[in-house]
Amino acid sequence: MKIIESTKIKEKAYFEKLENGLNIIIIPKANTKKKYVIWGTNFGSIDNRFILPKTNEEVFIPDGVAHFLEHKMFEQKNGRNSLDVLMALGLDANAYTTNDHTAYLFECSSDKFYEGLDELMDYVQNPYFTDENVEKEKGIIGQEIMMYDDDPGFKLYLNTMDCLYHKNAVKLDIAGTIESIKDINPDVLYKCYNTFYHPSNMTLVVCGDFVPEDLLEEIKKRLLPKENQGEIKRIYEEEEDSINKERKEANMEVSTPIFMIGIKDKLPVTDEIVKKHIAIQIILNMLVGKSSSLYRDLYNSGDLLAEPDCDYEFSKQYSHVLVGGQSKNPELIYEKFKSELARVKKDGLDEEHFERIKRKIYGEYVTDYNSVSNIARMFLADSFKGINSFDYIEKFDSVTKDYAEQILNDVFKENMMGFSVIRPK
Amino acid sequence: MNYEKENLKEGITIHKIKTNKFKTNLFAIFLSTKLDRNTVTKNALLAAVLRRGTKKLATQEEISKALENMYGASFDCGIEKTGDNHILKFYLESINNDFLPAKENLSKECLDILFDIVFNPYIEDGKFKNEYVEGEKENLKQIIEGKIDNKAKYAYDRCIEEMYKNEPYGLYRYGYIEDLDNIDAQSLYNYYVELIKNVKIDIFVSGDLEDEIMSEIKENETIMNLQPRTPIYNINKENDTKPLVEEPKVISESMQITQGKLILGLDVLDNRKESKYATSVYNVILGGSANSKMFQNVREKASLAYSAGSSYLRQKDNIFIKCGIDIPNYEKALELIKEQLKQMENGDFTDEDINNAQTIIASSVGSITESQDSEITYYFSQELSDEFISIEEYIKNINSVNKEQIVEIAKKIQINTIYFLKD
Repeated sequence: MKIIESTKIKEKAYFEKLENGLNIIIIPKANTKKKYVIWGTNFGSIDNRFILPKTNEEVFIPDGVAHFLEHKMFEQKNGRNSLDVLMALGLDANAYTTNDHTAYLFECSSDKFYEGLDELMDYVQNPYFTDENVEKEKGIIGQEIMMYDDDPGFKLYLNTMDCLYHKNAVKLDIAGTIESIKDINPDVLYKCYNTFYHPSNMTLVVCGDFVPEDLLEEIKKRLLPKENQGEIKRIYEEEEDSINKERKEANMEVSTPIFMIGIKDKLPVTDEIVKKHIAIQIILNMLVGKSSSLYRDLYNSGDLLAEPDCDYEFSKQYSHVLVGGQSKNPELIYEKFKSELARVKKDGLDEEHFERIKRKIYGEYVTDYNSVSNIARMFLADSFKGINSFDYIEKFDSVTKDYAEQILNDVFKENMMGFSVIRPK
Repeated sequence: MNYEKENLKEGITIHKIKTNKFKTNLFAIFLSTKLDRNTVTKNALLAAVLRRGTKKLATQEEISKALENMYGASFDCGIEKTGDNHILKFYLESINNDFLPAKENLSKECLDILFDIVFNPYIEDGKFKNEYVEGEKENLKQIIEGKIDNKAKYAYDRCIEEMYKNEPYGLYRYGYIEDLDNIDAQSLYNYYVELIKNVKIDIFVSGDLEDEIMSEIKENETIMNLQPRTPIYNINKENDTKPLVEEPKVISESMQITQGKLILGLDVLDNRKESKYATSVYNVILGGSANSKMFQNVREKASLAYSAGSSYLRQKDNIFIKCGIDIPNYEKALELIKEQLKQMENGDFTDEDINNAQTIIASSVGSITESQDSEITYYFSQELSDEFISIEEYIKNINSVNKEQIVEIAKKIQINTIYFLKD
C-alpha cells in the first residue's frame, strides 16, 4: 500500500489499487469509536449516454437512472432489504447519488463493523431487479421528486444551472422526472449496473481505528471475482463556452426571496484544480464573507441576514462558482456583487485581508478532519475528481496573492454569470 | 470519566469535557430561563443583539476579523426550547493549539471573546446601540416569517403549538412579531441587565485541553465579576399527569404544496422517570428506524409515503409521528398509522424488534462522545434535569427494557392532535 502522510494535520492515508481495478483508501484514526465505510461508483446523474465496453453498443438511458439504481440496490433476492439489515445491526446506513457518483455507506459505533461490511459488500455486488420491484419503486421515487419540487432551495439551484448551462446534464434533477422514470426497467438497470458497478470504476474508503493491512485483507475476502473490463466511454453533450441565459425567476412558498449567483467556469484541469479551488475560496470570502465591506453594508442596510453560502462546485464535466442567500432585495445584491467584483479586479486584493482569510481557511481545512464520516466522504468525492484530499493542506502555502488575482480575473467574469431568484407568491 | 463539573458560584457552573478525538476545542455558554410569553421574543432578540459588538470589538466586522485571525474560529448562537426552559446558547469553536502552524494560545483568546460577547456587550449611553437593536428586530421578523419555508418543520411546529395552546411549550422559540414594536434599545438593555443577574449560567469547555483551563476561567475578570444567584428555571423532572382526551384535536391547513405533511402528536400517559427508557424503545419500534412499523408498513409495503417516522420528545412525554404523503391519501395513511399503534398495544412485535431497537439506541447514545456538540448537549440536559446518569448507565437501562414494559407504554399512548398540511 502506498502511504501518504500529512504532518500538518497528523493523519495518514493508505492507498491501494487491486488487480481488478478497485481503488481502496484507508485513513486510520486512533482514539475514535466511530468507523465509517463508503463504497462509491463513478456513475452519477450526468452519465446518461455511454458505450458498453463488452459489446461496443451505444446506450442512452432515461434521466434519473443512477438515483433509481441506488434505491433498488438495497433489495435482495431473499426478500430482505439490506438497509433494514444494516439498521438492525445498529449501523447508521445510507446511500446517495450526486451528479458524478453514487455511494453506499454506513457508520458504526459498536463492534458490528465486520458484520456490516459483510452486508454492504454483499448487496452492492448482488443486484436484484424484477419488473415488479422496479414498478413499485416508481411510486416511492415519484413522491421523492414531488417533495423536492416543493423545496425552494432545490428549485433555486436547478434554475441557476439552467442559466449557466445549455445542454450539460448537471442542469437536470438528479432523480429525473416522473415522466423520465416511467421508462426505467430491469434491463436498463442491469446494463448500467454491469457497466458502472465494475470494481475498476469504483472506490472504497474506510476511516476509523483500524490496522490498514488487516482491513485490506478483510475487504479482499469479501470481493467477488469479476472479469476485467475495458474503459467505459462516456459521451457528453458538447457544452458551449457561454451561458444559456442570464436570469431565471420563479415564485414559490417562501417568506423572503432567495437568490443564487452562478459563474460558469472552464472544465477543470486536474493538476491545477486544488490550488485553484483554494484561491476561489479565499476570493469568495474576501468578496462577500463576514468581514468584507460588502457584507457589512448589506447587513447594516438589512438586505442580508446572514453570510451568503459560497461554493465552487466541480467534477470532470463542469465547474462553477455559486453565491446564494436570502434577501428581500435580491437585485441589489446582484448589482452590488458585480460592482464589488469590478472594484476588486481594479484595485487588487488587499494584502492584510488576504492573509487573514488564508488563516481562516486553513483552520477550516483542519476542522474537516474532525469526523470520520467527513474524512471518508471527502476522500471519496475527491478521488472521483482525481484529487488526493491532503493536497488542500499541502498546496495551501503555494497560493499567493498574485495567483489569487490571476484566478479572480480568469474565473469571475461578468459575461459568464447567471442569476436565479425565487420570490414569494 | 472524562467529564467534571464545578459549581463556581451559586447558579454558575463550569463543565469540562476532556477529549482527544478532535482537532478542535469547543467552548459554550448556556443561559437558561423559564419559557414565558412575556420574555420569549426578548430572549431571541437578545441573542442576536449580543453578537453585534463587545466593549472591545464594537462591530460585527471587528469580531469577524478577530475570529478569522484566530484560524477561522467560528462563533454561533442560537435559541432553544428544552422542556419548559428557554435557552440562549453561545458557542465558539477553534482549532486546537496542536494543529496551528505556529505556537499560539488560541484557547485563552477564544474564552475572552466568548465571555465578552455574552457579558460585556457594546453599550452606548447606558443602553444597547439603537442601530443594532432595530436591525436585529428586522432580522428576527424575517426569521419568524420564515418559519413557513421548511414545510416539514413548519407542520411539526404547528402541531406542537396546537397541542400546547396557552402553555409555555407551545411558544415559538423565536417569539412573536407583534412583540417587537414594544422593544427598544433601552428596554432590551434593562431586560438584559436583570437577566444576567438572575439567569442560570453553564460554561462548557470540550477538547484536548490543558488543566490550566479551569483556573483560566475562574480567574477571568468577567467571570469573577458575576454575582451568585438563585436561578429561576424549570428543572426538567416529572411532568404533571396529562389529562385524557376523548377525541383528538384535528387540524388541517392549506398552503401551496404538492406533498402533504401529516403530523400526529401523541401523549405518553406515564410520567415516571424510569418509563422513559421503555418509551424510547417503543418509539424506535414504532417509527424510529428503517425497520420500524411506520417505515415498513406505511412507507414500504403500502408505498403510501416518502417519509414516515416518529420521534420521542423525552422532556415532554410526547411522541410525534411525521409523514410526507400524497394529499388524497390522508384517510388511508391515518387509518394505517392507527393500525400500527394498535399493533403496538397488542404486543404485535418480536423480541428481535426489541433487540434491534435497543441496539439502535445504544449505538446512537454510544456515539454521543464522537461529537463535541452532542456531548455538551448530553451533559447539559442532565444538568437541567438535576440528575446524573453516565452514558454507560443509560445504555444499561435501555438494554434492560422488556416486552411487558413496552406494551404497558403502548397502552398509555393517546393521540392528542392530528395536524395536516395540504394544498
